[in-house]
Amino acid sequence: MSSREKILARIATNKPSLTVLPNVPIFEGDNSIERFKTVLESIGGRAIEIATKADCQAAIDTYYSDLKNVSSNIVNASIEINPETPKDILEQVDLAVIQGEIGVAENGTIWVPESNMLNRALPFITQHLVLVLDKNNIVANMHQAYQRLEDVGSYGVFIAGPSKTADIEQALVIGAHGARSMMVLIY
Amino acid sequence: MKVGLFIPCYVDQFYPNVGVATLQLLEKLGVEVVFPMKQTCCGQPMANGGCEQDSKGVYEHFVDTFAEFDYIVTPSGSCTYHIKKHYDIIEQTPAVQKVRKSVYELVDFIENVLKIEEIPVDFPHKVGLHLSCHGQRGLRQANASEITGVRDGQISKLLRKLKGIELTELDRNDECCGFGGMFCVTEEAVSARMGNDRIADHLRNGTKVLTGGDVSCLMHLEGIVKRQKAPIKVMHIAEILNGNQP
Amino acid sequence: MNHQNHPELAEAFNKDFERTTWHDETLWFVRQKRDKAVYPIPEFQDLRTLASEIKDHTLSNLDNYLLQFEENARKNGVHVHWAADATEHNQIVMDIIKKSRPVGAEERNIRLVKSKSMLTEECHLNAFLQKNNIDVVDTDLGERIIQFRDEPPSHIVMPAIHLKKEDVGETFHEHLGTTKGEKDPQVLTEAARQHLREKFVAADVALTGVNFAIAETGSFVVCTNEGNADLGVNLAKVHIACMGIEKIIPKLHHLSVYTRLLARSATGQPITSYTSHFTKPAEGKEMHIVIVDNGRTQQLGRADFRNSLKCIRCGACMNTCPVYRRSGGHSYDFTVPGPIGAILSPNIDLHKYSSLPFASTLCGSCTDVCPVKIDIHVQLYKWRQIVGNNNELSTSKKWGMKGLAKVLSMPKVYDLSGKLARGALRILPHGMTHNQSMNPWAKARELPDAPKQSFKEWYEDNRK
Repeated sequence: MSSREKILARIATNKPSLTVLPNVPIFEGDNSIERFKTVLESIGGRAIEIATKADCQAAIDTYYSDLKNVSSNIVNASIEINPETPKDILEQVDLAVIQGEIGVAENGTIWVPESNMLNRALPFITQHLVLVLDKNNIVANMHQAYQRLEDVGSYGVFIAGPSKTADIEQALVIGAHGARSMMVLIY
Repeated sequence: MKVGLFIPCYVDQFYPNVGVATLQLLEKLGVEVVFPMKQTCCGQPMANGGCEQDSKGVYEHFVDTFAEFDYIVTPSGSCTYHIKKHYDIIEQTPAVQKVRKSVYELVDFIENVLKIEEIPVDFPHKVGLHLSCHGQRGLRQANASEITGVRDGQISKLLRKLKGIELTELDRNDECCGFGGMFCVTEEAVSARMGNDRIADHLRNGTKVLTGGDVSCLMHLEGIVKRQKAPIKVMHIAEILNGNQP
Repeated sequence: MNHQNHPELAEAFNKDFERTTWHDETLWFVRQKRDKAVYPIPEFQDLRTLASEIKDHTLSNLDNYLLQFEENARKNGVHVHWAADATEHNQIVMDIIKKSRPVGAEERNIRLVKSKSMLTEECHLNAFLQKNNIDVVDTDLGERIIQFRDEPPSHIVMPAIHLKKEDVGETFHEHLGTTKGEKDPQVLTEAARQHLREKFVAADVALTGVNFAIAETGSFVVCTNEGNADLGVNLAKVHIACMGIEKIIPKLHHLSVYTRLLARSATGQPITSYTSHFTKPAEGKEMHIVIVDNGRTQQLGRADFRNSLKCIRCGACMNTCPVYRRSGGHSYDFTVPGPIGAILSPNIDLHKYSSLPFASTLCGSCTDVCPVKIDIHVQLYKWRQIVGNNNELSTSKKWGMKGLAKVLSMPKVYDLSGKLARGALRILPHGMTHNQSMNPWAKARELPDAPKQSFKEWYEDNRK
């Protein structure tokens, strides 16, 4: 018998009798931009409201004028990134500006599917990350987020703020391996 | 209402005053109390030590002693919890079921059976309440900080109404004292350290009288208070409610 | 290896009073952060119940959910492997790695980057791979620190929580060339970032754990704060994900319950920085899942203990445990320390871990803090009985208990013994009753005064 069969047989013998799978309610909650911003800031991120999506460029020019290698399909890019881009180019990215799909007010997280990432590694290898978010796509909690998210695609990530660690004496340090800063432009 | 008084073994032997206060308090509250002379222990010490099979005789003796009562009242949340929770390994005769249902921790009995919400006692002291884990989390006699930030419970409700009393606000409201039955000797280092830290919390926040619902926790904490010669008097809740003064 | 039991290791830990204070306070701080994150969620207790019931249900239908997961994962182009035990798991992982050798790299070791996986700790994968000439780099900062120091993790979420920043500074000075005496967490983390970026870029294979595996989609979710899982996986050619059979949940939307509970319970964050959903490998890359038993099906068969398999590895029971905080993770000498470890370990080796169910006061804080409602302290009590029934207690304790039980079931003997003992305590000199080598109680505590009369004797005199 293969290990697969052995494991499955042991489970069949040892499992308890079938119990009921509960229904998960959607639960109510605050889905305001204010809530989203407050929570995002509490986890080290930053949110800026802009009038329209077209104002992203101005925001990037204002906040990130010092960064040289920008990759984006929303604002002017100085470095082109695609799924085939080699690692040594990816490593040079200072700023990535990409679209986020769903924001969650309760925890400040944003769903980013692979199709928005330009390259799967980009949101993590970039030194700084900007996600662009439609304010109508902010939901209250994770139940509502998964309800909207019918399909997770091949790969997708809920990103909540910059990369962080507290592995040294519980001291919070922003910028562990991934993005050193994370900003959300809400239009 | 036929009420049997259960005075746990170590209270009987080392803290008879707690037994006396419990009896006197219940009598003052108009309860007719019977103390069955053949009682010994609930059997918890062996069971927590991994020998619950050896406890069966003690369990049966306990049931035999108390089966005739409508209520069994004891100044110990821990023993109450043990009887309710762990007497499931002996045959569940009507007597066993009755005993497990009728056993009450003293303050629980006062508030929920006697429906008494206030006891007219002057106690003008700064009092620190130690929540015994078996009373608090076992019998749900007080809120647990894991569940809610609201600090409330049966003992503090009664204490708060005593005249002149001031209750200590602790840094850690419901951390275990480290007694833990056999744990206090088998894991002596951690047990003592936990007790030290509880006492330090009380000292830091001004406790002058330390109380609680379980003599076992208090015995351990008093042992530390005495060794450190700390300016704290340890009293069981029954003694305070009975009008004893420090 | 000479196996020390928990009390001995805990006593050694407590020899350093200040460090014990620091360890306790550091972890209590995490518990407080957890409270702050939990109290404002009105439905938090409902979520715990849901999380518990979903897991209960999943365990009751686990074989079918695993099959569903496997089928969907295969449809997604993922390779699925099954391992009955640690040895087989390690072999499978090594075989995948060896097949991943890039063309033109015949002369060098294959390079593996790992994000945190308690399962691979449990299987002692690193040592096995290193023995087989594979370069293994743990990329979680805490894991990297203890890998440099050749120590096991002392906590499942914060593996290096037993170390002070000075210790980390010393380690980084030795391994990464940071300035001697440098202990600023910011500076040390930056040094690790630079060092590990090179490793990420150079890696051939990336290995991750699995937080949740979704039967209906064949996807799996990995949660990190550092972003090391995604960085490793998305730069390497091959991704290996290792999961215990209990990681399955039925549906995608069940993640909503667990993602609300996990980080709040673990560190007090509203959610981990990265909650990554892996379903299909990227174009031209490989994805493997190794599904591991290693004692789990046995635990599933133990009615009293099976619900320990609901654990989502948040570590909240460690942070809340007054014993763990004052004895350190290494005192448990098991991959998963703390209360949850004390109920998982006897399933693996009852003899070796027989002291762990006793490393608790049964205060029940672990049970109340557990986001999936595992009745940890109840299981500790039940393991104690199994330890007792299997003759794993010391002879003196066993016979002491039997003797005590006899005395306590015979009222007259009990009355007399009590009287004699109290009499002896009153007569004997303090130095003898409080002899610290004979009486561990007396090391830090005074004995209660032995009264002349027991309550029973008083009652007889006053009320009869």
